[in-house]
This record gives sequence, C-alpha cells and structure tokens, in this order.
Amino acid sequence: MSLVPQVLKSLKTLPPFPLVAQRALLLLNKSEVSIQELVDIVKFDPAITANVLRISNSAFFGLRREIHSLHQALLLLGTQELLKVIIASGATRLFCRATPGYFLDRLGLWRHSVSVALMADLLARELDHPERATAFTAGLLHDIGKVVLSLYVDQKFTEIMEVVDGRGLSFQAAEKEVLGIDHAQLGGEMARLWDFPDRLRLVIKLHHLDKPEAFADDMVLLVYLADLLVLMFGQDLGTDGLAYDGYPEVLRLFHLRERDLEKILLNFGSAWQEAQVFFGLIGGDDGLQCAHRG
Amino acid sequence: MVGVADMKVSNQQGEVLVTHALGSCIGVAIYDPAAKVGGILHFMLPDSTLDPLKAQEQPHMFADTGLPLLFRECYRLGAQKSRLRVKVAGGSQVLGNREFFQIGRRNYAALRKIFLKNNVLIDNEDVGGTKARTLFLEIATGNVWIKVMGQNTIEL
Repeated sequence: MSLVPQVLKSLKTLPPFPLVAQRALLLLNKSEVSIQELVDIVKFDPAITANVLRISNSAFFGLRREIHSLHQALLLLGTQELLKVIIASGATRLFCRATPGYFLDRLGLWRHSVSVALMADLLARELDHPERATAFTAGLLHDIGKVVLSLYVDQKFTEIMEVVDGRGLSFQAAEKEVLGIDHAQLGGEMARLWDFPDRLRLVIKLHHLDKPEAFADDMVLLVYLADLLVLMFGQDLGTDGLAYDGYPEVLRLFHLRERDLEKILLNFGSAWQEAQVFFGLIGGDDGLQCAHRG
Repeated sequence: MVGVADMKVSNQQGEVLVTHALGSCIGVAIYDPAAKVGGILHFMLPDSTLDPLKAQEQPHMFADTGLPLLFRECYRLGAQKSRLRVKVAGGSQVLGNREFFQIGRRNYAALRKIFLKNNVLIDNEDVGGTKARTLFLEIATGNVWIKVMGQNTIEL
C-alpha cells in the first residue's frame, strides 16, 4: 500500500517558510545585493534579530568587538556572511519539531543540518568554490523533507530497516521502496511549495545522487559529499547511521583523494566546536524560537 | 562524556564513561578489573603524519598518538597491561565501493597494527557496517555496552 497520497496531503498543513529567510535566499550570491533593504525587513523580526546578534558575537566569527546592531553586523561580516546567519536564524522555525523517525534527540535533525551547512561551507572553501553562502544554505536545508517524512518513517521503521539490513540498500532507497516516496523527493516538493530558488530545490531533491541529472550541478555533489563527511565525523548521527550510497566519482570530479578527506575532517572538528552557537539556537533556556512557530 | 578526539580515564566507582554516535571514528574501552581502572578513547583518524602540529595539540584525534596516551593514563591510575580487557566499537562506512570513503576501515586497520606491535589483544569488538554506535563503560564493574542508534543495547 502506498502512503504517497497521505504524505503529500500532509504538505497542505505545512507552515510557511519564514518570509525573511525566504527573501535572503533570493539574494545569495548576487553581486549587488540590496542588503540594506533586507536589514530593514529583518529588524522587525525580534527573534531573528536576536539570533543574528548572538551568532555574530560568538566564537564562530571571532570578532574582537561586540556587535550591537544589524547594521554593524552587516559592516563587519559582509553581506554573504550576514545572509547565512539570517537564513540559519529563520530556518530554526522549521526544525523545532522532533523527528523521531530519524533522530532520538529532539534536536537531532537541526544539529545534523547545521553540521552539513558548516561542512559544505568548509568544502566550498577548500575547493575554491565561489558560492560559499549557497553551499552553506543548501547544506542547511538539504534534509527538510525529513521534517515531514519522519512521522511515516517512524511508523514503518522496522520494515525500512529490514530492507536496509536484508538487502544492503541505502536508507533513502528503502524509504522509497517502503513508503513510495523518500525524504529527498519530498523535500523537493516542499521547496517548490515554498518557492525556493531552482538550484536550491534541485540540491534538496537530488542530494542522494540517485538520478543521473544530479551529476550535472557541482552544488548537488558538494552537498552530497558534505553530508557523507558529516556522517563519517559521527556525532548527531541518526537512526539511518551510515546507510548511504558512496559514489567515488564525486571525489574524482573534485580531484580529491582519501587523504584530502581526512584533512577536511580534521579541520571540521575545530569549525564544529566554534559553531556551537548555531546548535543552541533551538531549545535553549528561553525556547524563544519555538514559541514563534509559523 | 567523551567527545570526538577526546579521552577520559577514571577510577571513580560511581562513574559511567560514554562516547556518543561513533561514525567512522573508533571508540576504545580498556579496563583493569583488579585495579578497577578504565578509560575510553574516541579517535577520528588513523595517522598523525597527516598534520603533526595538530597531533601535538590534540593527540586524541589520531590512533597512533591517542592509543598510547589511553594506556599510559590507565597505568598511572594503577592498571596493569596484562590484566587489561580491551573492547572496540565504531569504524562504520558508507555503502558501496571498497576503495573510497574508507576512513572507518583505515581507522580499524591502524588500531590493529598498533595493538599487534604492542602485544595487545582485543577481547571483543563491534566494528564496521553502517551503524551509528554509542559506547559505555561502567567503572565499578568494567561492563561495556553498545547502543546502536534506533536499536537495542548490546553488551560487549
């Protein structure tokens, strides 16, 4: 029995993607960004503003002076960095819900998403890829399908694991087989409903490289590799463990060797430590973000 | 709590050491039942020649610099090599090709090589596959468990 109609129906109750973050998405990697306009929008959202200031003042940026205003953040961080921070602050509202099908910890998906964002950013830097802010954002949002699919994965978890363990399929392929739809495909649907830029939608939809067209865009490959490296790093691993398909051709395309991956993991350890402020954006002492849902 | 590239040793009877969510990393738990001393090392990479400077700062990052420290610290608390029980978990891999994305396998190979050279035997292990594992060591008893994410706890 296919659960697809039921899954798609549950998209009707999907909360909107936060408007501020949505606008920020459209400004990624534009050379002439009307960022002042964006700052003017952000400042009317106290929760996002508070988060932007919190991140800007954290070890992540390691600035020596304290930032008190959005305008100051813009001047000191630059537009692309500020966009990343705004998108991450806005996206917290999506990740408030627990995703028990994938993670035992309520914040597991958020922590995984932030980790992949940081890793994608780091990889983009290592590879001299010019679109670091896009890489960060795509990494952050690659698994949004899990927010909705979790409920169904939870119901059918035993069956999915039987396919994974019994036939050596990836968790995502097993989702597709048991539920009729997987989290990447569903995430692509959500990105369409939310009017995400096309490129971002494609990364979300293709990040498991299970379709040939995935290999046409290096941003898809970059996020795929970031996801894989984060799984190897461990921490915040989900119920799907490392049941992912490895495609070595990605390494060849990026001219990376195994030893390069080890170096990247090494650097990631420090980046991950410095980025703890992102993990704390949800479910801190005040629980502020989750109070502002939808 | 033992983080990534981290180590804890203890002789405090009330303590349970734990290291979470091992992916390609490896967790090593050693325990001396007579001295009631034990420790866990969570290392990430096989070989410190990758970045000797980093290895000086964070020796627990690598198998070859971390393992000697784990044993030495336990000896300092009264453990003896001949009595040590050694248990190993982690070293998972993604699916597919056997030549790439092999950090888990290489971590395990590095560990075996170091143990072989130093005459250390592994009493029990749960390594490889695609599982995410959490490793526990109870200092009072030396009991070691593994929790596989989304599945039951097993004793090692």
